[in-house]
Amino acid sequence: MSKKPTVSVVVPLFNEAPNVPPLVEAVRSALPGIDWELLLVDDGSRDGTAELADEYASSDERLRVLHLARNFGQTAAMRAGFDHARGDVVVSMDGDLQNDPGDIPRLIEELGRGYDLVTGYRENRQDKVITRKVPSWIANRLIRRITRVRIRDTGCSLRAYRSQVLRSMVLYSDMHRFIPAIAVATSGARISEIPVRHHPRRHGSSKYGLSRTWRVVLDLLTIVMIRSFRDRPLRMFGLASTLIGECGLLFVIAATLAGSTMSASDSPVVFTSTAVVLFGLATYLFMLGLVGEVLVRQYWGPREDLPLARETSW
Amino acid sequence: MVRLERTETFGPTLRAEPEFQEPSPEELDVTVVVLLETGRLDARAICREYEPPLRELGLSYEFLFVNGSGEAGLGEAMRESIHERGNVRLLEAGQPVGESAVLRLSVEHSRGRIILTLPPTLRVAPEALPKMIRRIEEGSDVAVARRWPRRGGWVNRVQAGVATWLLNMLTGSRFHDMTCRVSAIRRSVLAEIPLYGSHFRFLPIIAEREGFRVTEVPVEPHPDGGHTRVYRPGVYLGWIIDILGIFFLLRFTYRPLRFFGSLGAVFGLMGGAILVVLVIQRFFGGQELADRPMLLLGVLLVTLGVQAVALGLIGEIVVHFQASRGSTYRLHRSR
Repeated sequence: MSKKPTVSVVVPLFNEAPNVPPLVEAVRSALPGIDWELLLVDDGSRDGTAELADEYASSDERLRVLHLARNFGQTAAMRAGFDHARGDVVVSMDGDLQNDPGDIPRLIEELGRGYDLVTGYRENRQDKVITRKVPSWIANRLIRRITRVRIRDTGCSLRAYRSQVLRSMVLYSDMHRFIPAIAVATSGARISEIPVRHHPRRHGSSKYGLSRTWRVVLDLLTIVMIRSFRDRPLRMFGLASTLIGECGLLFVIAATLAGSTMSASDSPVVFTSTAVVLFGLATYLFMLGLVGEVLVRQYWGPREDLPLARETSW
Repeated sequence: MVRLERTETFGPTLRAEPEFQEPSPEELDVTVVVLLETGRLDARAICREYEPPLRELGLSYEFLFVNGSGEAGLGEAMRESIHERGNVRLLEAGQPVGESAVLRLSVEHSRGRIILTLPPTLRVAPEALPKMIRRIEEGSDVAVARRWPRRGGWVNRVQAGVATWLLNMLTGSRFHDMTCRVSAIRRSVLAEIPLYGSHFRFLPIIAEREGFRVTEVPVEPHPDGGHTRVYRPGVYLGWIIDILGIFFLLRFTYRPLRFFGSLGAVFGLMGGAILVVLVIQRFFGGQELADRPMLLLGVLLVTLGVQAVALGLIGEIVVHFQASRGSTYRLHRSR
């Protein structure tokens, strides 16, 4: 194995065989004067991507190929790349060449200004308007609003990370879509963004569609919950429990009123039983919160997962 | 030489050894693992049936019988028949153990680099064994038997067919004979597959999901096998529950909120719609809310929705911490 590089470029690949040669060439010419390695992560491709990548790697020791045992999805592929990256700076990008590796030096430069994560945002995005740009615009607004991480373009995967960020960042499921938000939530990263170039797709087809909206909504809910309540679930469930308990109280009051006015048709039974159901729900939520506390307790040791922080000179 | 092993267990734990034991070295080619059950074939009959093709194969092999019934009697009866042979071992669990536990035990205790699992009934013809071992030698990690052409009564075929169909539909797998459970596995691979509870039934599906190479081998069914077996209704219910469980685990282990959130949304929307209608009728139709039992149904549905989402969120907390400690992918072994 070659000596430890300064920059690791991680590229997940799923059925991107035609893009491998130009990708390797682009990375080779993009990083003059830097010790780099290129980690190609084959995510169970069936179009010969793996073999092609192996071929390139055999003649250039700066190239490394990771083969996932099956198609695990982009998040797992990125995580595999991050886990095996050796550089102090790690750069991630898509394998479809819509990102330009020529922007990497500027990302690294920005990282040097005291950030933990620098993400690109796509100026002049080269995609279909209706199916890609409009949903993405809405999604970005929503994500910005909900996660409170001020990033213009969450979908741009050209990013540079300090390797410390990756050590504490938790990636699973389909969370690669929200890496800036995750980095803030789980590692307390400082984030910056700079404009990057964006090219139309030359080879192969896009692996995204519109069908993922509902899943994105649920994932966002997860991220918000993780950021605010991961370490204190009882707060979340306790709050919800109180709110619902108050609704129950309203029905108790309504039942009392209905009972006291007592017109022949009015029966307090329905209101009372509604209140009982709501009190039941409140109790249930509070107990779930307690279970949550027990779960969280299992995972925290005294020194694990310190948030990112560094001393600065006065 | 007579090899007879007895392993002791203490207390309620199901470990076959009081202390952790390194897996035995791979001294042999094949270990045939058989879980013995009361009232089924004994070790002598199984050896008589399945040993000849193994001997002809020219590989070194052993039989590892596991008495998982927790009854000493079964092992005692076996002792007689085992005594005559050199390459037969008996493992006795102190308490009743299931097939998943037997598979895990066989990783520790077998000496072959390939493990062949056999039920204590005659399901496949003896010639199937060399075929399956050959498939492993050709590069597969797991080879599962598919009995073809099927023999036996239609009751057997229908119940196996329905179970397999349900499983394939829910998990997207494509195995044809999930009830046979005769399979050959590299021991190193079996060591990496998490198996517990009733997951032994789904070994090929789980192995494939872990990224291992699983192939199906068409084999002749045993001429004497295929007796019609009708089980208690509880057994079938158990199958269905197991299949639903594996469906959930395969699809939602890392994303519980996708499941519980969707479920909660459906309940919540139904309940919400009822409540909206009631409120509209209260203010514009002049119908008193207190007279409407539908209110209770609406509130109950919303409650169920909230509970589902809350459970999903708890699940996400679990998964989050789990993912921060463990790996979510597996690299290819051969490269």
